[in-house]
Amino acid sequence: MATDDKVLIQVRNLKKYYNRGTIKALDDITVDVNKGDVMAVIGPSGSGKSTFLRSLNLLEQPTGGSIFFDGVDITKKKVPDGKGRMVKMNLDLHRQKMGMVFQHFNLFPHLTIMDNMTLAPVQVKGMNENEAEKKAQGLLERVGLGDRANAYPIQLSGGQKQRVAIVRALMMEPEVMLFDEPTSALDPEMVGEVLDVMKELAKAGMTMVVVTHEMGFAREVGNRVLFMAEGKLVEEGTPEDIFDHPRNLRLKEFLSQVLK
Amino acid sequence: MDSFVKLSNFPVIMGYRQLFLQGLLVTVLLSLLTVLVGFVLALILALMRLSNFRPLGFLGLNEEGFELDGGWRSVVSKFNPLSFLATAYVEILRSTPVLVQVFIIYYGVFSIIQLPSFTFFGFVKFERFFPGVVALGMNSGAYLCEIIRSGIQSVDGGQTEAARSLGLSQIQNLRFIILPQAIKNILPAIANEFVVIIKESSITYTIGVQDIMSAVNAVKGATFIIVEPLLVATAIYFCLCFPTSKIIAYFERRMSRGDRR
Repeated sequence: MATDDKVLIQVRNLKKYYNRGTIKALDDITVDVNKGDVMAVIGPSGSGKSTFLRSLNLLEQPTGGSIFFDGVDITKKKVPDGKGRMVKMNLDLHRQKMGMVFQHFNLFPHLTIMDNMTLAPVQVKGMNENEAEKKAQGLLERVGLGDRANAYPIQLSGGQKQRVAIVRALMMEPEVMLFDEPTSALDPEMVGEVLDVMKELAKAGMTMVVVTHEMGFAREVGNRVLFMAEGKLVEEGTPEDIFDHPRNLRLKEFLSQVLK
Repeated sequence: MDSFVKLSNFPVIMGYRQLFLQGLLVTVLLSLLTVLVGFVLALILALMRLSNFRPLGFLGLNEEGFELDGGWRSVVSKFNPLSFLATAYVEILRSTPVLVQVFIIYYGVFSIIQLPSFTFFGFVKFERFFPGVVALGMNSGAYLCEIIRSGIQSVDGGQTEAARSLGLSQIQNLRFIILPQAIKNILPAIANEFVVIIKESSITYTIGVQDIMSAVNAVKGATFIIVEPLLVATAIYFCLCFPTSKIIAYFERRMSRGDRR
């Protein structure tokens, strides 16, 4: 289905309704995520931006539409296998290729930082344990946490936890990274260290979808910005389009609130 | 007026100390086996309650295969017979007296199923001991099920989301992420249930299991002394339960240390 090689995720008419359609958390979202995109999703709270992001790896079950990733519609329970047969869609396989970073970090508290990072590569991908540890150590050093490998999550600050969460997702070598308000639960002085890691990641060419309240980050690092309100994708464009030449009234209101 | 306890009665009871020792052994054995049976049963029940088995699930899907967002079909499609059965079992067992359950198992179920009649350890009557284990195990299974279920559910939902987003399967998530955290949460509650079982096992003397209470009964029948054997039984139960709960409390404190997020 993916006709264009540049497109990584195709979202088509994505819907998430509750209560027989009276509540529309996602209302007919259609958008493409291209390879190398750094897409910032902004909007007021309750606008559905987190629901949208979480739908991309099916942590939320949509109630309609499709999401093509690697040419497979991951919203369907059965998909064609390319030989004319229908097979069960292997969601775990697709999730391995989509890294996710959460607002509340969600590190595994009973495991050391090292084990947090090596668990999935070793158990899911069958990676050799020594190899995984070497790789994890390298990534930890890249984010300035090389000496914390044997610590437990509780011993880390919020900013450190989020940096670990990012490199934990990177261990799986994902094709795209999804960030769900990664700095919203952080003390202000720790926001910078996490954004720096994300900036570096963007520079390295990683495809990223970032739900964020950090307008500075959206403007500076993003190459595309989506504005959502009431479950709808209201406006989409480059950071200049959105921040300097907003067209939609709702967006103008929102920007005047957050950029005060 | 006579004192309600006569010291002179204790030497008489001493003559029956063998009975009390046997009773102690039976009580401990009965409790351990009950916890074992109860735990296995509880694990099965808890997994049934938390399972996602929906044989009518097709009713809740629209033509395109998406889940409906409301309506009677959506409600019916969520029916999980495994969960329903397990919940019914738990609620019935928790809402009826254990004495009734013991009688039903012994006089009802095991009057149909014939048990071989033999003794082990030289004195324990299998055909009475076994129904006691079954009845108490079934009862504590219901309580332990709720403990295990709440332990699994007490693990933050974000843990599952993180695990699944890394590509771990449902089973791998349960094994590496959820159960290690859940078991740590519920160990104290399981140990407390063990103390409850030690005390509750005394009820099985009514079907002739030779535990501590049956020793009291035997002494009473032979000597017409009532209060003093009861005091001996009290002391034995206390010596079993009090240290156990103290040890549990100690480990509880140790495990909760440095575990706040």
